[in-house]
Amino acid sequence: MAVSATAALVQTLNGIQFGFILFMIASGLTVILGILDVLNLAHGELFSLGAYTAIGVFGFIIGVIGPPGGGVVGTVVFVLAVIAAVLVTAAILLPVGTIFEAVFLRQIYDRDQVYQLVLTFALLLILLDVKKFIWGDSSIRTDAVYSAINTIPTSELVGLNYPTYNVFVILVGSAVVAGLFWFFERTKTGRIIRATAIDREMATAIGVSTDRVFTLVFALGAFLAGFAGAMAVPPTSATLEMGTNPLVLSFVVIVIGGLGSLRGAFVGALLVGVIRSWMITLYPPGEIAAPFAIMALILLVKPEGLFGTWGETA
Amino acid sequence: MPERVDRDGTPAYRFLGVEMTRREAAFLGLGVVFLFVIPDIAGLSDSLQLSVIHQGLLFGFAAVGLNLLLRHTKLTSFGHAAFFGTGAYATAVLARYAGVQSVGLLLLGAIAAATVMAAIIGALSLRHTGLYFALLTLAFGQLLYAIALGQSALGGSDGLPIRPGPANQPLLFGTAFSPDVYQVLTYYLTVVVILIGLFVMYRITQSPFRNALDAIGQERTRARFIGLPVRRYVWAAFVISGIYGGVAGGLYAVVRQYVRPEGTLFFLRSGDILFMAILGGFRTLVGPLIGGVVLIFLQDVGQDVTQYYEFLTGVVLLILVYGFPRGIVGSLRSGGIVNTRLGELRREPSVLSTWGRTAVQSIERKVTAALTSLRIILFGVD
Repeated sequence: MAVSATAALVQTLNGIQFGFILFMIASGLTVILGILDVLNLAHGELFSLGAYTAIGVFGFIIGVIGPPGGGVVGTVVFVLAVIAAVLVTAAILLPVGTIFEAVFLRQIYDRDQVYQLVLTFALLLILLDVKKFIWGDSSIRTDAVYSAINTIPTSELVGLNYPTYNVFVILVGSAVVAGLFWFFERTKTGRIIRATAIDREMATAIGVSTDRVFTLVFALGAFLAGFAGAMAVPPTSATLEMGTNPLVLSFVVIVIGGLGSLRGAFVGALLVGVIRSWMITLYPPGEIAAPFAIMALILLVKPEGLFGTWGETA
Repeated sequence: MPERVDRDGTPAYRFLGVEMTRREAAFLGLGVVFLFVIPDIAGLSDSLQLSVIHQGLLFGFAAVGLNLLLRHTKLTSFGHAAFFGTGAYATAVLARYAGVQSVGLLLLGAIAAATVMAAIIGALSLRHTGLYFALLTLAFGQLLYAIALGQSALGGSDGLPIRPGPANQPLLFGTAFSPDVYQVLTYYLTVVVILIGLFVMYRITQSPFRNALDAIGQERTRARFIGLPVRRYVWAAFVISGIYGGVAGGLYAVVRQYVRPEGTLFFLRSGDILFMAILGGFRTLVGPLIGGVVLIFLQDVGQDVTQYYEFLTGVVLLILVYGFPRGIVGSLRSGGIVNTRLGELRREPSVLSTWGRTAVQSIERKVTAALTSLRIILFGVD
């Protein structure tokens, strides 16, 4: 099957773009898993909650600043406003994550792990219907952000017809990746979180409040999921079921990268994203199955994942 | 014939290796009779549908299999729909493409397929324990779901009818029955299969194999030290539990005469199966079965009452986690929370207001704690 170089490049870029979205979801999930030892089944719902909230926030912000004005300044202002809207959306999810952890999860850390699964699943079901209650059954979308950002020329400059919004997602995604690694490598809070991941008791002994770290980590995960939702929604629409697929793919990413490994989540997310999008042109029925096939392969060769567990390095 | 034995001073009877007191035997007999008369009871009321109870029993049966892993080896499988779906799809494929008509042969095919599938998935995922195992089984379940969705031979998202054309229905005992009779007969077949399955599971839980699994569940390394072939035993338990799922799935396909990926293989079904086990009480033998009927019934009633029935299920699960972690059967048992509370209430009825007050207080405390954590995260410690 002959695939032109341009088409291959476009598919790869699509894959990378999806990979960054996936990384934002999976990184929160994997850090929660690595530190709290909790598999948050409701994480996909946080992502979709972010998407729904983002539509409202985008609408509000565009209403305030209006459509992008002409010239470089107007464009820059608009892009900054979009980034601000994404951040606001993610910030709205911070309390959601905090309440999840502090009100619900905290009670059952000392119980069988199976209860955590039941609890997070119950929260998944509840969030699903809360969304249905607030936003209704049908999907909703916002075109303004996607079309406005696409008017900015980027890939056209090198002779490729590729949506600028996807380039925007890749750029912002790279910034998030860099920011996360900086946070965990360089800041004090990040080091405290990693210390808790390595040895919870030792961290407590030297004066780290693990309770607070747990809440913080869960809120961070919700923040990232909301961020991903806000970034993912403009080209598509927000639907009630949109959380399921990214959640399951995040599991695949975590298994590929290694439980709780941030670096592993990054490599795994890009791998899954790119291979999935190649499959769309090469062999469409394999699109859904391909990530799982990679996962099974990696399990056979390297059962602990590509990067092992987290802690010593980010 | 039943043989008389002595159990802690109370007389008990042993028959076919099942040991029980007279009271337990009476309960068992009542339960069996109840299962058999359900088609007649269901005819009396509109809200009670045989097909709903039937489906509950089938998923509950899969949960009984899952319970072997959950109860003894402490492994949480989040992908049991994989075996349910494998059984269902094996039945559909055999009936549609191989022209098999007999229900017995179809079920044997379902068992064979589920065994192979459980052997493969088990070999790949049993190297891990805990959440990693849950995650792996979930991912493998979704892989099968993806395959069923993607292959046009398996009908894609539309699913697969068991047999095309007007003669849709498989044959029972070599004869075709009218749809009503077929429904009741397959129900009786299900009850018989479930009774056999429960009996086998009971014998397993009375065997040294179960003790070995318990030891493995408590401490793997120690179990290996005392010479247990840990990997092989866990794998065997996984395959057995997969077979239960396969049988349930095969029966589901025979009853429904139609298989859809959404209804059999989707990961929410895996979640359902796991929660049935916990809802019914995963420390008990029949708990998962009861949990299955209750959960499916609840979802069915919920769908009629409100469009927000997922919320309803979620709230029930929350109540379960915080209030009745031992499940329905576990809580009703002597020493369970229901009995203890009822005893307190009988002795001193005013205790009710104390319970209400403590409940409100604890909710208040939790909300304050949550707000405090939020404040600390946002503004730091002052």
